[in-house]
Amino acid sequence: MEILIKTLGLTKRYGAVPVVDNLNLEVRAGEIFGFLGPNGAGKTTTIRMLTGLLEPSAGQAFICGHDIVREPAKAKALLAYVPDQPKIYGKLTAREFLALVADLYRMPRDFARQQGEALLSLFGLSERADELLEGYSHGMRQKVVLAAALIHRPRVLLMDEPTVGLDPASARLLKDVLLELARQGAAVFVSTHILEIAERLCHRVGILKDGRLIAVGSPEELRRQVGRSESLEDIFLELTGGAEQSELIRSLEGDR
Amino acid sequence: MRIQLPPPLVQAPPPRSFWQDFRLLLATQARVTWNKIRHWPARVWLVLIAVGLGSLGLLSTIGYMLYLALAGAGPETAQGVLSLFFMVGLAGEMFFGLTAAFAALYMSEDLELLFATPVSTRAVFAAKTISVAVSNLFAVGVFIVLPGIFYGRLCAAAPAYYLWLAAVALALLAVGTGLAELLNMAVMRIVPPHRSREAVGAIGAVSGILIALFFQLPGIILSRSGGFNLGDWLAARHQLLQVMSYFPWGWSAQALIRAGSGRHLSALGWTLPVLALGAGIFFLAFLLVERGFRRGWISLSQGGGGRRRSGKTRPAPQLPGEFPVCVPGLPAPPASPWHGMWAVARKDLLYLKRDTREWFGYITPLLLMLFFVVRFLFFPGPGARESLLTVLVMYTIMFSGNMALQSFGREGEADWLLNSVPQAGWPVVWGKLIAAVLPTLVLMEALITGTGLALGLAPGILTAMALGAALISLGSSAIGLYYSVHNCRYNPDVPQQRIAPGATQVMYLINLLFIALLAVCLLYIFPPGELLAQVGQLPPVPFAWDFPEILFWFLSLLLVPMRWAPAVRTAFGLLLAGSFWLAVFLGFMKATVRQSLKGFRVELVTAAGRKRNRF
Repeated sequence: MEILIKTLGLTKRYGAVPVVDNLNLEVRAGEIFGFLGPNGAGKTTTIRMLTGLLEPSAGQAFICGHDIVREPAKAKALLAYVPDQPKIYGKLTAREFLALVADLYRMPRDFARQQGEALLSLFGLSERADELLEGYSHGMRQKVVLAAALIHRPRVLLMDEPTVGLDPASARLLKDVLLELARQGAAVFVSTHILEIAERLCHRVGILKDGRLIAVGSPEELRRQVGRSESLEDIFLELTGGAEQSELIRSLEGDR
Repeated sequence: MRIQLPPPLVQAPPPRSFWQDFRLLLATQARVTWNKIRHWPARVWLVLIAVGLGSLGLLSTIGYMLYLALAGAGPETAQGVLSLFFMVGLAGEMFFGLTAAFAALYMSEDLELLFATPVSTRAVFAAKTISVAVSNLFAVGVFIVLPGIFYGRLCAAAPAYYLWLAAVALALLAVGTGLAELLNMAVMRIVPPHRSREAVGAIGAVSGILIALFFQLPGIILSRSGGFNLGDWLAARHQLLQVMSYFPWGWSAQALIRAGSGRHLSALGWTLPVLALGAGIFFLAFLLVERGFRRGWISLSQGGGGRRRSGKTRPAPQLPGEFPVCVPGLPAPPASPWHGMWAVARKDLLYLKRDTREWFGYITPLLLMLFFVVRFLFFPGPGARESLLTVLVMYTIMFSGNMALQSFGREGEADWLLNSVPQAGWPVVWGKLIAAVLPTLVLMEALITGTGLALGLAPGILTAMALGAALISLGSSAIGLYYSVHNCRYNPDVPQQRIAPGATQVMYLINLLFIALLAVCLLYIFPPGELLAQVGQLPPVPFAWDFPEILFWFLSLLLVPMRWAPAVRTAFGLLLAGSFWLAVFLGFMKATVRQSLKGFRVELVTAAGRKRNRF
């Protein structure tokens, strides 16, 4: 399968402190990759470098074979980014916002209009599509951002905590959308804290700690590495040095 | 659920030019602005009309000053006048530009979105820079173009003069915008992203102060005896005029003076350095800002780059091995309500210390008061003493009432906390009162001392005023707290708006009435000699059911104690003032406590309008 996301020694330092340290990973077409790590591990910084929002201090990142620093326009045209906070123009309507994003991604107008209406309908936004976005709830804004991310048919989808603020039905819809995108050959890179999502949705996961990738593989492979048939949550807590939390969780489960 | 999605792209769409991206971004900016204007509520239009009228007054004043300065003045004086206006224009540009750049680059929520798209970052920053430059057009129009046109008309300049004027205005616009962006870079580097709202509040407060002071200047200048002529003032300052020629505003003025007299080659010689400087600063700022964002030197949002302060960390206390989080059956330890009261007060005082916007609540009236003191000392016109007294009374009320008025709104979205802990009622309200009164009292005493010294008041009167200030502060704060608990609101977009505007006005009126009635009571304790002398000569006023006779009768009734023996009158005054103050203070506190016991509600409002009452 074609490699759509690739990093080679990707590093970001603030002063002398490395936030992401020598990151090497590959995500293939048709794969949903879960990016896990405790707070401050460097997940968001990695995604920002992959999207071109931040220039790496060292190393390279490739999207569909294009270096994000040297060929940003080509790389960005093929990717979509869903940030953890839906920052959008409050004074545009959902329909206007989707049209803007389609224009920014150089989509033909007719296609963008059809695709926009289909996505508005898919996310249940059609009825309020002509209202200003500032009046939308957090969950609705998140849906608008998701719709905007899909409007230009990205080959690579980078998502930072995409389920925050979504109701269960919308989270389920998102899961179905991601599975369909992967089925069609897109690569999905999801940073999440919700390990259940990672376990059920992702084909492979990578665990980041203090800016370093300490484990990568499918949940099954990770279980084999650890040598026990534990949940991803237990594996995560052990690998990220949260053994005491793991003990605490076990003791709490024992109390029930 | 089966989702139907078109297949992903295999190849990127053809690239677009910088200009196509730039046009698209400008069109989006225009659309956002248009939508914003379409949804402005009526009050915004009213404010705009008021600002428009103010600006018209400002333009008339500037025109009048220019006419006085330039009519019959020599070229050297005209050059000085133009230099001065251009310098003010550049300062205005930097100030407005800094605010606009901060809002467009640091507070903007669309940069992340735009950077993630295949639009060139240069196009993004070009569009943002244009929006900063547009915000500077007012300053350029008023302080550079208008004086330039005025001078051109005055010396009947040829049409070519206006081309030089356009070039100079463009160059100074570029210089001002570039400097504002560079200054903004420094601010963005210093201010962490999570405090950007505070910074914008601080910038807004400074601009408010400057604008307020600026609008006072024409009044002071015109009220000076003998009038004020800028031309005469400048003509007497040759050195200042010479120094001006070393700066871009001086070069610009030189260019226009030469263009006005038809020496176009010489005008070109003075215009080219300004244009070169403008282009240089503009592009340097553009490149540094773009590079700063790209390299993460300036952070887009929390968690990114930017400077981080290394705070002092305390070692974590050692906990015993077995820490009882919850022991069933153990009664809650008894706690004094004083602890709760002090906890609330300490929390509010910490907020006052750590939130820059809170400081400006105090600094603004203090600076304005200082302005009037300076006016009284250095420009002693006919209205200076009255202005000083009026301002003192107004700011006394503002300080006490206004700071208390912010108290409950300060809770914002965390209002559930004080409502859910077992401290509602007196502990919460007294805590709020202490936090509102303590800093206010210190500043008010400073104000009173300053004003007293400026007016040359006797020490006894000064002490009485200081005591009165403490009583006023407590009384006004109690009134402020009452209106705060009933009308507090929270706007996440403008966190400094913590009270409904109508409530502020009613609170001011009630506070004015409180102070007026307290002043009547104090008259019996400190009666002015003139009043005592007149009271004895007033004829008796008979009672009659008629207006205004009944009013005169009531006023004469108020004057009756003035005829009593001084000791009796003073004792009566003390009793009356004390009773009145106690009734107001305790009455409003009791009413606030009652509402606090029922639960206070911070109304959540957003730009989209009032949302809801929680609870």
